[in-house]
Amino acid sequence: MIKQTLLGLAVVVAPTLAFAHSKSEATTPADGATVTEVPELAMRFDDPMRIISVTLTSPDGDVEIERETGMDPATEFRALPSEELPPGSYRFDWRGMASDGHPMQGSFSFTVAE
Amino acid sequence: MTGLAPIDGLVVLAILAKAIGYSAALLAMGGVIFAFVFAKRAEASVLRLAKRLAVGAALVGLAVLAIRFGIRAARISGMGIEGASDPMMLGFVWESPLGTAAIWRGLGEVAILALLIPRFGRWIALAGSLAVAISFAQVGHALGEPRAVLAVLFVLHLLAAAFWVGALVPLRRVARAPTGADLLHHFGKVAAFSVAVLIVAGTLLAWLLSGSVIAMFGTGYGWALLLKVAIVAVLLGFAAFNKVRLVPALRAGNPGAAHALRRSISMEMLAVVLILLATATLTSVTTPPINL
Repeated sequence: MIKQTLLGLAVVVAPTLAFAHSKSEATTPADGATVTEVPELAMRFDDPMRIISVTLTSPDGDVEIERETGMDPATEFRALPSEELPPGSYRFDWRGMASDGHPMQGSFSFTVAE
Repeated sequence: MTGLAPIDGLVVLAILAKAIGYSAALLAMGGVIFAFVFAKRAEASVLRLAKRLAVGAALVGLAVLAIRFGIRAARISGMGIEGASDPMMLGFVWESPLGTAAIWRGLGEVAILALLIPRFGRWIALAGSLAVAISFAQVGHALGEPRAVLAVLFVLHLLAAAFWVGALVPLRRVARAPTGADLLHHFGKVAAFSVAVLIVAGTLLAWLLSGSVIAMFGTGYGWALLLKVAIVAVLLGFAAFNKVRLVPALRAGNPGAAHALRRSISMEMLAVVLILLATATLTSVTTPPINL
């Protein structure tokens, strides 16, 4: 019962949430942007964030990326697509931990056009 | 609504584990405090019950602490439940403020086990209770500014809550007979003071962490806090009714008073469980407006 309520709540409000702790949030590409090429995937935080897992997904599945930023807490995170991204919609998801110990997660989406 | 994190199965697990951890910590601290405050007034069997409760709660608290480490590691790992035993993830959790808090809480709960040692053991347990209270000031938004003020308020809030929560089970036992009325009356007097501390410290914390009254509405933190306060109000209603009506009725030897009082204390226990669930939700998935 509690679980259902919480899950219901999450569904209602999840879209409004992005980065709860470290107010951030410039991302490259910007969330919702349409771009022609993606030389890098980057995020900026105003407090150091330990980014632990990152995934880039397209409708076809996971897309390989290479991290430039390690797992130490940092205010800037950078990763590079292993290969040039073909046109399509992409979603970048990350999980990590804020400096106060809270587990954090977030995502941003973008579209690559011809 | 802003400042609410996504909730998945692991988060629900984390909230439940945290609520159990809160209950264990409050019962452990509260049992020790009860044994001190009522050392002279309570019967030996009631004091034994309070101490047994504290020791049992401390053991549960230690187990939950270990489980929470695993859940936290799983949450940050992005690997799902498998991350719970990943040494690297556990290392990250250990290095975080949760690691510091775990040291305080773990040592405190172990020290509470010293209640089993006759005579001086209770002093070790008292120090342990303080360590457990301090552990709560080592994580999350207690680390904000003004840190010293927040820490003192958290410790006071927790000790006052522990005094109340830890007394419920022993008092329910005492309420079986009219001879318990003296102890219940005395508790009512001490509790009036501790409830004042609880409310003042809680209000100041809410004010420091929300920044404004407007922020209470429209943020996940605000709504969860309002829910918590609403249940606290119900709890206070039961407590006041007990103090003003039922305890005097028990003392006067009214038939049915003992039964009514015990039932009322059971309702208080239920309210405490709901409050701790609300608090665990509040501190797990919402962000204080001041941090938004």
